[in-house]
Amino acid sequence: MSHPLAVDRALAIISLKRRLAYKTNWVFAIVLGGGAMLSGLALWRNLLGEGTLGGYDWDSMRAYMIIGFFTATLAFGGADWAIADRILDGLIAVDLTKPVDFQRARAAEFVGSMISTVPTAVVGTVAAWLLFSPPPPVSPLAGALTLLSVLLIFPLAFEITYLSVLVCFWTRRYLGVMWAREAVLGFFSGLMIPLALMPVPLQILAWCLPFPHFTTTPSHIYLGRVDTLGALGLIAAEIGWVVLMWFGGRLVFGHAVKKVTVHGG
Amino acid sequence: MPILEARSLSKRFRRPDKDSGFKGAMKHLVQRRYKNFTAVDAVDLEIEPGESVAYVGPNGAGKSTTVKLLTGILKPTEGTVRVMGRDPHTERIANAHDIGVLFGQRTQLWWDLPVEESLKLLKHMYGVSEADYKARIEKFDELLGLGEFMPALARTLSLGQRMRADLACALLHAPKMVYLDEPTIGLDISVKDRLRAFLRRLVEDGTTLLLTSHDLADIEEVCDRIVVIDEGRIAYDGPIERLKAHYITTKAVNLVLEGPADTAALAEKFPHYEWSPGEAPTEVVVTYESARFTTAEVLGEVTAHLRPRDLSLSEPSIEDVIRRLYAGELSR
Repeated sequence: MSHPLAVDRALAIISLKRRLAYKTNWVFAIVLGGGAMLSGLALWRNLLGEGTLGGYDWDSMRAYMIIGFFTATLAFGGADWAIADRILDGLIAVDLTKPVDFQRARAAEFVGSMISTVPTAVVGTVAAWLLFSPPPPVSPLAGALTLLSVLLIFPLAFEITYLSVLVCFWTRRYLGVMWAREAVLGFFSGLMIPLALMPVPLQILAWCLPFPHFTTTPSHIYLGRVDTLGALGLIAAEIGWVVLMWFGGRLVFGHAVKKVTVHGG
Repeated sequence: MPILEARSLSKRFRRPDKDSGFKGAMKHLVQRRYKNFTAVDAVDLEIEPGESVAYVGPNGAGKSTTVKLLTGILKPTEGTVRVMGRDPHTERIANAHDIGVLFGQRTQLWWDLPVEESLKLLKHMYGVSEADYKARIEKFDELLGLGEFMPALARTLSLGQRMRADLACALLHAPKMVYLDEPTIGLDISVKDRLRAFLRRLVEDGTTLLLTSHDLADIEEVCDRIVVIDEGRIAYDGPIERLKAHYITTKAVNLVLEGPADTAALAEKFPHYEWSPGEAPTEVVVTYESARFTTAEVLGEVTAHLRPRDLSLSEPSIEDVIRRLYAGELSR
């Protein structure tokens, strides 16, 4: 009797190996992955000077940017094109003849490919930490809760990606869907600019969506912009989105799979 | 009890009905029109355990769509399918444990990894024990020569190697029911022969097989029963021998004469046969109705008058029969 997670583990490993098969690409990502963060830090250094914006001074903004880089590297690191291509070119027909749950299998693959981006995230974060010395978390508990909220980004990123990839069943194209998702995610997560700098209606809209949990939630907890109860509330909301979107994915797939049309053999 | 049972199985697709060009595309944006296209039309099919069935038809006849309905990939528009008592679409995962599928035009190998990695992943997916895995890989190596390219990346394989590896992937878990959709497409003769020998062995071992192919030699060498589909409907379902007996009503003798053959004169002299020129000027083909004349009678009469230098007998192949069936030349 094999382990109940044996297939998930095997799929995650094979997905990781596929990423590592293209070593030059992988090494480039590690070396150059922090470039956008560096330019962002330079921009905010000039904007903030010695003052504050939306409650962020240079100290807190350094931590915010580094957390944003770490979480965005993970969130955008999954193999979304691999899933989309299989739907678009009909290889989903092969996947559907395998005795595995489609969503769970794609989740395992996604996590495997996300793991390949961990070195990029770690190398960039450590380098930025050494260069910019951001403040530590406000308390050890805040540090632990930040870590928990970051770990929840793995399922959350998969689910948002998976739901957007399923749109291919209707659109028959993925590029536009991917651009739209990345724009919405970058904007409403607070990665482009902190939510605190947005008009209140946009902030309210953002908090009604799962996206702020990618950057704003971990940085709020880390910087102490919310107390422990508030931090637990944010993490509970993050877990709520994880559960809701998991079942949402199943619901959408149930409808999408009826649209499978694999012509031409 | 049949291992596979389909009743009034139909699949209709909706296709955009667009005029050509930019104007047509713009018009379709505001005024969407669709046409229904029936790929499979009220197909009834029963397959008993251990049978080897060829499912053939011209391009676009509905062969691959039927396979996708039977494997649970597509949901039927109408009708029902039962494979080992299960609905393959709603009970997809349970069904997938007991079936093996090969799509000749779509690989199940992970493109950028060695073949061995794909097989090991499938071992986990199907819960194949280590001992069974080793034994089956050894068998595949012996029959398909798998060992020589196990460490190779899938993207570096030749088409023949890729197909052999895909076949191993489809059969690794020893499925009871196997669907092979064009397994020899694009392969050279030697690889085809090797695959056919392997499939014959599979059938002898009791595996139920549904094979679609455009290569009629695959069908004659591997299958006992043939189902011909055209425009989504079954045109013939029965033993291959019966198809031949029913539709092959003529036989032919190819004669090589000492001098040039005059087919017009021969037709005048032997009007009860049909005469046509052969490949060379000295060759002639005499065709006769097998129900009216025995081969011995024809040979006796023809050789007595013409004294040919050489002769050979031929009868239309199953390929000719099916070609004529597709073309509507034969009554169904």
